[in-house]
Amino acid sequence: MKNIWTIFKKEWDRVIHDRRLVISVMLLPGLMIFLIYTFMGTAIENFTTVETANIAILNDTAGFKALYEASEDPLVTDIESITAEEVVTYQEKVDNEEWHLIIVFSAGFETYAGGVDKPGVTLYYNPNNPDSSSVFGRFQGYLITYQNSLAFELYGDTRYFILETSNTAIDPNQMMGLIFSSLLPMLTIMFLFSGAMSIGPESIAGEKERGTIATLLVTPVKRSQIAIGKVLSLSVLSLLSSLSSFIGIIVSLPKMLAYENLDASIYALGDYAMLLLVLFSTVFVIVGVISILSAYAKNLKEAGTLITMIYLVVIIVSISSFFSQGAQQNPLLYLIPIYSSVQTMTAILSFDESVLTFLMLTFASNLLYTAIFIFILNRMFDSERIMFAK
Amino acid sequence: MEAAIQVTKISKTFTLSRKQQKIEQSKTKTKVAVNDLSFEAYPHEIYGLLGPNGAGKTTTLRCISTLIKPDMGDILVQGKSVMKEAGDVRNAIGFLTSDMKLEDFFTPNYLFDYFSKLHGVPEDLAAKRKAALFHKFGIDRFAEVKVGELSSGMRQKAQLAISLVHDPDVIIFDEPTNGLDVLTAKVVTDYLIELKNEGKAIVVSTHIFSLVEKICDRVGIILNGKLKATGLLQDLVAPEDTLEDYFFRLAQEEGDIQ
Ligand SMILES: Nc1ncnc2c1ncn2[C@@H]1O[C@H](COP(=O)(O)OP(=O)(O)O)[C@@H](O)[C@H]1O
Ligand SMILES: [Mg+2]
Repeated sequence: MKNIWTIFKKEWDRVIHDRRLVISVMLLPGLMIFLIYTFMGTAIENFTTVETANIAILNDTAGFKALYEASEDPLVTDIESITAEEVVTYQEKVDNEEWHLIIVFSAGFETYAGGVDKPGVTLYYNPNNPDSSSVFGRFQGYLITYQNSLAFELYGDTRYFILETSNTAIDPNQMMGLIFSSLLPMLTIMFLFSGAMSIGPESIAGEKERGTIATLLVTPVKRSQIAIGKVLSLSVLSLLSSLSSFIGIIVSLPKMLAYENLDASIYALGDYAMLLLVLFSTVFVIVGVISILSAYAKNLKEAGTLITMIYLVVIIVSISSFFSQGAQQNPLLYLIPIYSSVQTMTAILSFDESVLTFLMLTFASNLLYTAIFIFILNRMFDSERIMFAK
Repeated sequence: MEAAIQVTKISKTFTLSRKQQKIEQSKTKTKVAVNDLSFEAYPHEIYGLLGPNGAGKTTTLRCISTLIKPDMGDILVQGKSVMKEAGDVRNAIGFLTSDMKLEDFFTPNYLFDYFSKLHGVPEDLAAKRKAALFHKFGIDRFAEVKVGELSSGMRQKAQLAISLVHDPDVIIFDEPTNGLDVLTAKVVTDYLIELKNEGKAIVVSTHIFSLVEKICDRVGIILNGKLKATGLLQDLVAPEDTLEDYFFRLAQEEGDIQ
């Protein structure tokens, strides 16, 4: 134990007393995330300017009216009753960003008394128009509340009506906001990796290159203690680095959510705790991989090359969050290191229903990989072929 | 007297990668680095392993230091086997090599304490030893200067001091004067003689005849992994002969020189 601590302490001192490393490992990740999102947020905010909300409703009901009137400000909310013939005209207006939202209650909505043919409510909005998205978000909320209140009158069925949404075709440029929010998991993984990358190789490949590994290996300290001491210190240092990323995420969330017209308060403490668990367990995996590559490499340069190759793979894997709307649903995918972390973060940020399952799979598999990596590293320290390769 | 180091018939074969095969210009996949080699070293003496590059000196010293294991044979260090009691051997041994470089970021003071702890030296004893060694090599004024900022001579002296934190009874030194400036080389060789007079058993490897003549009591001549001759310097080399001539005659017999 004492030896592990001695080795831990030295690696710790090496990083913590080196101002350049402290900045690049501890401060930069969080700061970068924050800056990127603040910059993007400000750019996008410039075109969200809600003045009046224009809503057209066909077959409005008294119950629904009572609901939204209780929450909406009548001065800025303009509700118009329209006829079935007018719906198409208003859709065009929404498409042209001249109108925000259309709500269509199906005919005979209020006379429904249970049965297979449920009435429906259809919302139409324009996701390319942030104002329209914002109004849509609010009224969708009212409708869900309305749906719940009506359900009390039904027996054994929880839904009175079917809620449907349709919208103006999405313009690729307007997708930017969405993309930036799906960028977050990737950025986080990249910062975690580059943090560990800037301190890992020196601690093992550096010792090999300088020949000091021999001095270390002729001390009576056990190889396993050397391996654990090094991995632990690198992990704790990288955890600090991940904490920095985490703080960056928290501070940036309000900005990020502004793209989707959501409020940061929608994330509860539990969501943050889950993010932290993902970050921490991912750090161990990353440090494990970097340590093994550093131990395998003959010198720092080779370690750098090997780790950069893995870094590229990690970036490609992280980019996966780009191309999927929301998180992957296949649980087996959550056993793939790094990919699972990216997907779980996406699941947390998008309130996926299975998020707990994904989190557990990710966390457990990450711990398993870490144990395997430490075992391999221990064997490598024992291998003269690896430690004294020519 | 009991031998401090007893090397008995050790052999070590390396498997070569394709790249190494090219470098070694070898057609076989393996390289016998040490071949059935035996010698002893006693307290109060410096034993020199003399041989050209690639003869197997470093490999032999690494086997003694438990860094690598011989494929055959065994080595006893103060009666402890490197194969079965590596931990005890490590406690008794100091391994020094001229290619060792200390980490630039730390000070000699820090590294001395670090290795003292890893060797389990009690703190007060470590402090006393540090004061004595640093004073001896003139490191005391630079104890708090980062290794990266030290002159190369000072760095080498710091390495020497740090490799001896545990005051080992057996000292293994691979190419002790390689790359040292002349002044530092003299400090190092003088110190080795001093350690020998204190009763340590010292094994050095070198390819420099004059170093052997200056500091070694006994010498082993190693060629192609085999020990071709071993004994007291004056017994091996007749008074009218030189070590250099003797060595080249052996190399010729071995077929190393045409
Ligand atoms: N780890 C290794 N892998 C492969 N070959 C090695 C290794 N270490 C040493 N050798 C080879 O063994 C031979 C002896 O090397 P070494 O003991 O370093 O010689 P010396 O120290 O006398 O110059 C050389 O041919 C060298 O290339
Ligand atoms: Mg050598």
